[in-house]
Amino acid sequence: MRDQIVISGVSKTFQTASGPVPALAEINLTVRRREFLTLLGPSGCGKSTLLGIIGGMVTPDGGVVEIDGMKLDRPDPKKVALVFQDPGLFPWRSALENVEFGLELQGVPKTERRRAAQRLLEPVGLKGFEAKYPRELSGGMKQRVAIARALALQSPILLMDEPFGALDEQTRLLMGEWLLKIWATTKTTVVFVTHSLQEAIVLSSRIVVMTARPGRIKALFEVELPYPRDLTAKEATELRAQLWGFIREESLQAMEGRV
Amino acid sequence: MKIFFWRGVILVGLFGAWEILARQLNPVLYVPPSAAWPAVLRIARLEAFPEFPTHVVVTLWEILVAFALAIVTGLGLGFVLGLRRFLGEVYEPILSSLYAIPSVVWYPSLMLFFGLGPASKMAFGFLLGFFPIVLAVLAGIRQVDPHLITVARSMGARPFPLFWKVVLPAMIATLLAGVRAGLALSVVGVIVGEILGSREGLGSLVNYAYGLFRTPDYVALVFAIAIMVFAIDGAAGMIEARARRWSG
Ligand SMILES: Nc1ncnc2c1ncn2[C@@H]1O[C@H](COP(=O)(O)OP(=O)(O)OP(=O)(O)O)[C@@H](O)[C@H]1O
Ligand SMILES: [Mg+2]
Repeated sequence: MRDQIVISGVSKTFQTASGPVPALAEINLTVRRREFLTLLGPSGCGKSTLLGIIGGMVTPDGGVVEIDGMKLDRPDPKKVALVFQDPGLFPWRSALENVEFGLELQGVPKTERRRAAQRLLEPVGLKGFEAKYPRELSGGMKQRVAIARALALQSPILLMDEPFGALDEQTRLLMGEWLLKIWATTKTTVVFVTHSLQEAIVLSSRIVVMTARPGRIKALFEVELPYPRDLTAKEATELRAQLWGFIREESLQAMEGRV
Repeated sequence: MKIFFWRGVILVGLFGAWEILARQLNPVLYVPPSAAWPAVLRIARLEAFPEFPTHVVVTLWEILVAFALAIVTGLGLGFVLGLRRFLGEVYEPILSSLYAIPSVVWYPSLMLFFGLGPASKMAFGFLLGFFPIVLAVLAGIRQVDPHLITVARSMGARPFPLFWKVVLPAMIATLLAGVRAGLALSVVGVIVGEILGSREGLGSLVNYAYGLFRTPDYVALVFAIAIMVFAIDGAAGMIEARARRWSG
């Protein structure tokens, strides 16, 4: 079975003080084992909501999400780990203790989880920063600690909601390269949300473009270029132009809806 | 070291100024340190008040009970109201406005309820200590970053670990500050209660000495109370430091 996540007919409407907000409508999508799937779409189209539903954080109004054939009705790190745009490190814990958090919840003994956390800080380039507290780390470092904290759970699926959205361009590019290495070595399935076409092209094995709110799936691209990707290659620039065509339309609509 | 030096300088300066000033004034009402010191010794030798240790024990006991009650109910009510958003929104304004009323107005009714004995002092100490604690818990819970809760939940944290490992450490500084303020106010409540009417405790001795114009004894008692308060506060500070270390 190649499909690890099966999303069928998922919809979600938020009830707010100013009336119902339809965020997602009839999403049908499958995610393959070990692929790098990216969700692209205008702001507010429900990307975060969709990730939340896949991760068991948000209950859909209609439809189901099945992971390996099973429904998830609450977050389960044995299946899925999440990374958010805001790293959300616990300020009272050192980098190492932050990485340990998930294992601590699972009752892993102290020496064992410490060793596991230590091993994770090395590939994320934070060896020697174990004892530092979040306030002493740069934005990129914080996000790497947050990713290490998610990786510590050893979940087969990693959901990432604009993880590099708050970083500067250079850091962002380097983090992308770094993430591809992690992806290659950990063999996890990644579902990634970004606003950056460039990031999507460099990273993804498939790209999903969503419509303006309520989000639907508008188009699906297989990206068959070999890694590491060359953004100046002809295929890459063509893909970029194509993606931009779709995104432009939807973003315009999203903007007009807001004005 | 430098800090201790300057503290010493300030202390000596204050006592010096006090000595000089008090010597110019009516000695019955204004006691210079040189006259207070023998009175302190007389208390220490149990000459001034033979029952002095008993009174200290009574006061400490009242403070302990008052503060323990303030902690238990303050934390309990605070967390119930704070973690149930709706209840919190209903009750917090009521608590805040009650806190704004000068607490001494409650004391006569407490005396009526609980009599002249230790119970009314405990009740007053409790009342004063309770408010800062409950309000600190409510403020502390409000300042917990909801994103941290989301993150912990996404890693599978269930309500109980969520509370111990995220909510509590995230609010610990505010909570401890409130508990310490509550302790200080519990002490104030007990001693004021004793001064306003009682037969035992340090406050009753203050009242007695003052009433008989034994002003040096009165001043010496104030010193004794100050020393006791420093000791209590020092112990509280040590416990607070430990709690902080626990939360990292
Ligand atoms: N908890 C909530 N309560 C009410 N409305 C919500 C809630 N979460 C999301 N929404 C609304 O649902 C819509 C989709 O939100 P979502 O965060 O999923 O979009 P997004 O695609 O991730 O946007 P962005 O690109 O800006 O991150 C938005 O209009 C948002 O205001
Ligand atoms: Mg989002």
